[in-house]
Amino acid sequence: MSSIIEPATGSGAGPSASGGERPVGAATAAPRGALRRPVEMNRNIDVSGLVDAEGGLLDRSVFTDEQVYRQELRRVFAPSWLFLAHTDQFHKPGDFFTTYMGEDPVIVTMDRNRRIRAYLNSCRHRGARVCRADSGATRNFTCTYHGWSFDLEGKLVSVPNKGGYPESFDTKDWGLVEVPHVESYRGLIFGTWNPEPVALREYLGDMAWYMDAMLDHDDEGTVVVGGVHKWVLEGNWKLAAEQFATDWYHVNMSHTSALTVLAPSGKPKAEIVHRTGRQYTDPNGHGAGFPVHPRNRFDAQTVHKWMDYDALRERLGEARVEGPLTNGHATVFPNFSYLPVNGSIRIWHPKGPDRMEVWAWTIVDASMPPEVREAQRLYNLRTFGPSGIFEQDDGENWSECQAIAHGFITNSVPLNYQMGLGSEREDGRHPGTTSELYSDAAGRGFYRHWRELMNTPAWHEENR
Amino acid sequence: MSTATERSAAQPSRAGQRADRDIHFEVEQFYYHEAGLLDEGRYADWLDLLADDLDYWMPTRTNRLRRQQALSIAARGEAAYYDETKDSLAWRIRRFDSGMAWSEDPPSRTRHLISNVVVRHVDPAESPEFTEDDLLVRSVFLVYRNRLVNEENVFAGSRTDVLRRTGDRLLVARRTILLDQNVLQAKNISTFF
Repeated sequence: MSSIIEPATGSGAGPSASGGERPVGAATAAPRGALRRPVEMNRNIDVSGLVDAEGGLLDRSVFTDEQVYRQELRRVFAPSWLFLAHTDQFHKPGDFFTTYMGEDPVIVTMDRNRRIRAYLNSCRHRGARVCRADSGATRNFTCTYHGWSFDLEGKLVSVPNKGGYPESFDTKDWGLVEVPHVESYRGLIFGTWNPEPVALREYLGDMAWYMDAMLDHDDEGTVVVGGVHKWVLEGNWKLAAEQFATDWYHVNMSHTSALTVLAPSGKPKAEIVHRTGRQYTDPNGHGAGFPVHPRNRFDAQTVHKWMDYDALRERLGEARVEGPLTNGHATVFPNFSYLPVNGSIRIWHPKGPDRMEVWAWTIVDASMPPEVREAQRLYNLRTFGPSGIFEQDDGENWSECQAIAHGFITNSVPLNYQMGLGSEREDGRHPGTTSELYSDAAGRGFYRHWRELMNTPAWHEENR
Repeated sequence: MSTATERSAAQPSRAGQRADRDIHFEVEQFYYHEAGLLDEGRYADWLDLLADDLDYWMPTRTNRLRRQQALSIAARGEAAYYDETKDSLAWRIRRFDSGMAWSEDPPSRTRHLISNVVVRHVDPAESPEFTEDDLLVRSVFLVYRNRLVNEENVFAGSRTDVLRRTGDRLLVARRTILLDQNVLQAKNISTFF
């Protein structure tokens, strides 16, 4: 028996090429010869007993266990749509950005036909990365080990001493491994290794309605502020992902100091502390929470004053303008999160069970004049990001949870996700299933979906 | 004490010139004092060393191909760890006084080491808002942070300052901080440089 991971041959729709037929791809089925990876190397465990989504209990080993973590890379990250980059990062052929899907390094680039494509950033010869810059512009990706060189379409175009290889050696077999499906939603580019995924839009489901509150203020959409904040955290990636899906609860305690300095009176506004709202929980594990209040914002006044709320009401409706447009938090399963009021979008890259790397961008409306963009950028960098007065305390919480989680007794004591248990319903105002603002509903939904993926053989496993 | 105008008749311009030993000593002592205030958590006193028109900037840095090195430091208006005025720094510092800034409660232990100080007089031809009494200073820092039980961070980098001479004091009027890291190797930045 073998577990086969075929490099992709699928056809994806690039953000700039709507549904066009992909040219014959460079990434081809890898010659495997006699290689068969023993299935014992990828032994899967049944995680049913680690998540009690119905009772709101979680076994703490999901944050610490090495075997669970390896299985997540295979069964959660490999089959899911994962955030790659923003379309505004690519303007001309050869523009590239390097990132990760799970722990797999990938290059995202615009090819000569202006299609956004993504490749495994690993030379097919000895496996070194073929691009070691964070971003830039290039004509090809050349491995600095032996000089194999790949073009923007992923094709192997140069092999030093090619004559030394046997007759059977065909460069067509040794192109970069391509991410088979790359799609974008309102500027956000996602990719998946799954050769037969549901379309991105379908995967997002009703979550798209909530995302539009940040991404669709007008026809011009969003652009990114140059540069990405990147930092490390000693914490499991799910601690951050679930918090952004489900946790308004921590705001008043964790962020008291930040709320205090934001309030002119020097004490957090009662209307912020005693806030009601809703929390959306999605069958695919996404989640979003938002206070509901007509004057919800506590961000930069310059941005607030520029917003044309009448036009936004016209475009997006009252429920969105008073809810997810003006505040809140959200996660697109598994590891993409955002804060609508900050224009902060981020990915939690897994780096082992005990460590994540956070990459955060700031997005602004393309229609914003320079002074409004600048106000949004400054507000976000002063509140979120590694030096932000809010985010500093988030990092402290996650590393604190992780630091002690390996103790045997500590690790075996279940964690509580029972807030709002049974409160999930259709509220008639927001699509899908929602709960109270203060609730663990989306957290339960996150782990329910996680449990399902963890217990389902992925596309790369035989006998599925 | 002579003014710049009186001196100009008798002395050649110091614009752009290396500062003398006394000024160098003064600047080093200024930095050691500043480092001590930060390590002792005396942020309000630290703020007193900053000019009201302060520009305090710490851009992010990226890995770029050598031919695109010019782009390896984020530009103004792009991603930065700090992009601050004196007011926004005061705002950040007020947070610590709330008694509920958990990322620094209990407080970290930090040690700011300042070295490789090179002091020149500002050339007003290049920076018209300053005079040649003001100082353009390059220095490097090594900041050690130890937090809670076993968390350790080392922040290394450079600072390019303009120190304004105001009466008998120096004030930091411009500071550009370059941290020698790509992915920040810390869960947050809760100190200043």
